[in-house]
Amino acid sequence: MVMDNDFKEFQNEWNNNKNNIELSPNGINTLYDKIKKKEKANYFFYYGTIIILLATLIVISLFFYYVAPVKEILSRIGAGLMICGLIVRIGIEIISIGKAKRMNKIHNTLTATENTIRFHQFRKVIHSIVAPIIVGLYTIGFYMITPEFSLYISRWNLLLIDISYIVIAIILFFIIRKGIKKEMVILSEIMNLRKEITE
Amino acid sequence: MKSNQNILFEEIYQQHHAMVMQMCLGFVRGDHDIAKDLQQEVFISVWKNLKTFRGASSYKTWIYRITVNTCLQYVKKKKKEPTFSISEIENQVPFPEQKTPEKRAISTLYTAIGQLNELDRLLIMMVLDNQDYDTIAEVIGIQPTNVRVKIHRVKKRLKKILENNGNG
Repeated sequence: MVMDNDFKEFQNEWNNNKNNIELSPNGINTLYDKIKKKEKANYFFYYGTIIILLATLIVISLFFYYVAPVKEILSRIGAGLMICGLIVRIGIEIISIGKAKRMNKIHNTLTATENTIRFHQFRKVIHSIVAPIIVGLYTIGFYMITPEFSLYISRWNLLLIDISYIVIAIILFFIIRKGIKKEMVILSEIMNLRKEITE
Repeated sequence: MKSNQNILFEEIYQQHHAMVMQMCLGFVRGDHDIAKDLQQEVFISVWKNLKTFRGASSYKTWIYRITVNTCLQYVKKKKKEPTFSISEIENQVPFPEQKTPEKRAISTLYTAIGQLNELDRLLIMMVLDNQDYDTIAEVIGIQPTNVRVKIHRVKKRLKKILENNGNG
């Protein structure tokens, strides 16, 4: 009974404070400005990576077609692996956008939490399995081309390209590892939330 | 000339801005700037999804759902939250200087709510806002009986916190 009376008092305080929250005169216009900015940012967030990847794909394809049309079968397979890796990466990005859009805030908390879990589980698989495979394919493809390239460029330049690729691979390894760790932290937090909701 | 969506949106904003702001304030322990950002996030989502609103629930319940999910997403974005001491929380709540009895009372409440976990914070705020168990169940996605049990527990926790803070 005492708790109920206390609680009624809290409810009164809460509602009094709520009633004192005033509508700012310019609030709605500020909101419309923010909506415009957010829509623009979302567009880049969703499609920015795809545009960059598509541009890379076009540049690489044009490079192999016009600038350096490789003749050896080994090199052609290598170029194919590099291009396929990029195509797979673009496909994953499109699926990822679809899953991200499903994490809508209009669902109830439990459904929203479960959609979020599914999204991060998908990202975890991408980071831990698919991304290394794509990088691997790209790397194998790259080194398959180098024997033919060595016929046209000096040994030192080729060595420089090979070493720089190793550096990039190391950086990529750490980026992927960081991505997996981040997904694991987020996943465990959301799973705890789901446990709190359902228990 | 304003479109129908603009007119509806502005009506919704006018009717529910205080409820959303109060929830956000309670969730972020009275930090006005963060609450304002969260409130804007909520209404950006309202705008974005207004066309898909089918009327399966009231606008209020729908906005509650968006508010709760926005607040929980904010925690995810913020990653691990540092543990706040009481004095830190008290300094964070609004009106630290010129405290009238009313402001002191709401500060005390924000401080106590801020010590609950995120889900409990949202549950208790909906109760403070006079929402019935069915509405809360619809927002969270669990059974009303489960909501009743949870709220009973949260009320007990809140009371204990207030007693420990010397306000019980």
